[in-house]
Amino acid sequence: MKSRPMVMDHFSMVHTSFIVDFIFTNNITILTGDSGTGKTAIFSFIKECMAVNPKILCLNYLDYQKNIKNIISTTEGKLIVIDNADILLDDDTRKYISLDDKNQYLIIGKNPKNLFITKENLFELVSEKMGEQTKMTMKGYL
Amino acid sequence: MITIYKDKTDIPQNMEYVELNDVFFNQNTVLSLDERAAKIIEKIDESKLISKYKIQSRFDDVILNIDMISSGCKTVLNVLYYPNKVFCLKECGNNALEVLYGFENGNVYSNYALIPFDMDKVVVQTKTDKQVICDYEELKEWWNNEE
Repeated sequence: MKSRPMVMDHFSMVHTSFIVDFIFTNNITILTGDSGTGKTAIFSFIKECMAVNPKILCLNYLDYQKNIKNIISTTEGKLIVIDNADILLDDDTRKYISLDDKNQYLIIGKNPKNLFITKENLFELVSEKMGEQTKMTMKGYL
Repeated sequence: MITIYKDKTDIPQNMEYVELNDVFFNQNTVLSLDERAAKIIEKIDESKLISKYKIQSRFDDVILNIDMISSGCKTVLNVLYYPNKVFCLKECGNNALEVLYGFENGNVYSNYALIPFDMDKVVVQTKTDKQVICDYEELKEWWNNEE
């Protein structure tokens, strides 16, 4: 699915020795790939930004008991970042996300079911050493 | 070899199913880790287990609490140390799946196919049937077939 990012097309931040520099080309970005590549670390860095950036909402397994669809359907104008998406998102919520034109999504997981996405939505992390710093970007997964 | 369930109702009633691998690892498996865990953490996460509760990060060599290993790696370790429970497979990347599919024992659940490119053999179990599958395509077909 090709649709312009609703909230931001660029996200960058610094967290200690890590630099995060993401370009968003679609409203739904799936961040996938091998285990241990740093996806959840990125989630924790972005979550820290929630404290200062009102346009970011982060959800992960700690929200397992909550009604995720209810949370996102009452949210507007945010980049919603979802880690552990493969256990957090049921089919109904996935369908809602695929049609949501009020928010933008960064979904960390492996299962694209019911999100109606194409390879243009799939990305993996790239980490690059820059002296004592590590720069994290995204590139197309396939 | 590991046993795979594709429907939660197929899991025997005397076996506990664990969906949140992060929580289970942090509260239970972490207490049992030994040399086997060190090898798996190095293979999947490229991090070093440097003491019972600490790892050295692959990114910047910083020492981190062991709760920072990946969810895929935690899943694999849960299966290794608790072979009588069934763990959700869904957060395993291909590198974690390759390790997991090589285990002699263990139980996992996913309602959709998660198969490493290079697999040997596994047991697949439903309420009425139990069989050994050695082939990627055959396993994929079993997973995709509704019963």
